[in-house]
Amino acid sequence: MSDTVTLTLRDALERELVAEGLTPDRCAAADARQIGALPVFYGGRPAAIGDFFRIQGERAARLRLVGDLARVGALGAGMTGGDLVIEGNVGRDVGAWMSGGTIDIHGDAGDNLGGAAPGASRGMTGGEIIVRGRAGSDAGASMRRGLLVIVGEAGDRVGQRMIAGSVLLLGKAGRGAGRWIKRGSVVSLAPLERPATFRYACTYRPPHLSVTFLYLRKRYGLSIDHRYVVGRYARYSGDLAELGKGEILEWVG
Amino acid sequence: MEIRGVAIEDTFAEAFTMHAARVVITGRNMRWAREAALKLTGFATSVIGCKCEAGIERELEASDTPDGRPGVSVLFLTMDADSLGKRLIERLGQTVLTCPTTSCFDGLPNAPDRLHVGTALRVFGDGFQASKVIGGARYWRIPVMEGEFLVSESFGRQEGVGGGNFLILAVDADTALAAAEAAVGAIDPMVGVVLPFPGGVVRSGSKVGSRRYKKLLATTNDAFSPTLRAITTSALPEGVNCVLELVLDGLDAAAISAAMAAGIRAACIDGVRSISAGNYGGKLGPHHFHLRRILAPAQ
Repeated sequence: MSDTVTLTLRDALERELVAEGLTPDRCAAADARQIGALPVFYGGRPAAIGDFFRIQGERAARLRLVGDLARVGALGAGMTGGDLVIEGNVGRDVGAWMSGGTIDIHGDAGDNLGGAAPGASRGMTGGEIIVRGRAGSDAGASMRRGLLVIVGEAGDRVGQRMIAGSVLLLGKAGRGAGRWIKRGSVVSLAPLERPATFRYACTYRPPHLSVTFLYLRKRYGLSIDHRYVVGRYARYSGDLAELGKGEILEWVG
Repeated sequence: MEIRGVAIEDTFAEAFTMHAARVVITGRNMRWAREAALKLTGFATSVIGCKCEAGIERELEASDTPDGRPGVSVLFLTMDADSLGKRLIERLGQTVLTCPTTSCFDGLPNAPDRLHVGTALRVFGDGFQASKVIGGARYWRIPVMEGEFLVSESFGRQEGVGGGNFLILAVDADTALAAAEAAVGAIDPMVGVVLPFPGGVVRSGSKVGSRRYKKLLATTNDAFSPTLRAITTSALPEGVNCVLELVLDGLDAAAISAAMAAGIRAACIDGVRSISAGNYGGKLGPHHFHLRRILAPAQ
């Protein structure tokens, strides 16, 4: 037994590797042999984790992946608990439809981060995802609960169709952020292109944001400037084409 | 036993098991956090007449609060577990929710017993309220005219101790007050304990029941009232003309014991004849703080 299971990518990948079953909660109950036998798809063909990664540690709810994982998708998808640390860039569908635990990505993430499975109505329903680099399109799409923090730039349609939860954008975001959300918060520290179906409410200091930012500093060591902790935010209610109980909070100084 | 010439009587304070919560109030600055805390802890001196006992535990630096603003920590106690939640809902709803700039946080997050105070207060938002889960704890955002009031969904409850006490027997009122103020000053920085009475001091210590009025739960402690020395069975030594009491509530017996010891030592000044304590013969309360024992280790 160890406190962390570390998987190190042996060789650069030539095709897409879909590692949907690789989650910290599974590793918490598995020995090294069982972890190595977890099924994946490589280039659309069945394979095993052990074919691609060197495995250190076993039976730990903290899973660490090392290497250029830009072609690895669905890491942590559906996870229910534990901590997943990704040291490098990673592919699409990371943390999709997860319900608990944390994912800390020390690099860029692909599309549909924390999003929904194809055809599903709900994305992540709990837990926390931190991306220290950029995120692709549709991050947090259809999320139901949880916290998604994108430190770098976010792609288009971030938080689209959110049902609840929080998306924090520390950098710029693409078009369509927050479109069609029912509830939930999209918080942006940079100017954001808002859908026309959001209406300005007021400029104020949302008290929960300071709690959130201080938590992120303490828990993840994120560097969040004091001006954002104590700053004022413009509140836009929306999406008024939907339930209208969501919000975009945009830092204004 | 004597401390600086002040006799420490061979007696004990008798205290009760109570149910306690810790409430952390933050504000835009210390003024507003304190305003809310003072209102919250107002009229909360004794369960006899106030249904609860409460006091300010300490002021908190911005670095010690969940939202990085100055704050005040309050301890809140009742005799039974059920009423603790009710009193908190009433009082937080009227004194903290209403106070400009404040937010309200649970100060006992690890206590397994939960009081769903924020859950009850959220309905003030009339359906416009929203919740956020931050670090595993849920908070309610209640829209108000000022902006938003943020409150923890639930507050921890744990067993506490209420009714620790000691009496300062002095030659005159000025000396008794000076000794009491010194004792309060010594206890103020201590964590896990509050002094629920005005300025931390009680002038009207009581006995159980009444000699004359059968319906009364408590009446004046005639044995320690100087003006009655000649007409009642007095407990006052010769030369004592004023008695003040400190009552202490806390999160556990150790906190009460340490605070009593610090307070008594500070109260032993010129003009104080002796230090005593209130009890009921040891039959009512499970916590007995023997004055000489709690003072012995540091002697």
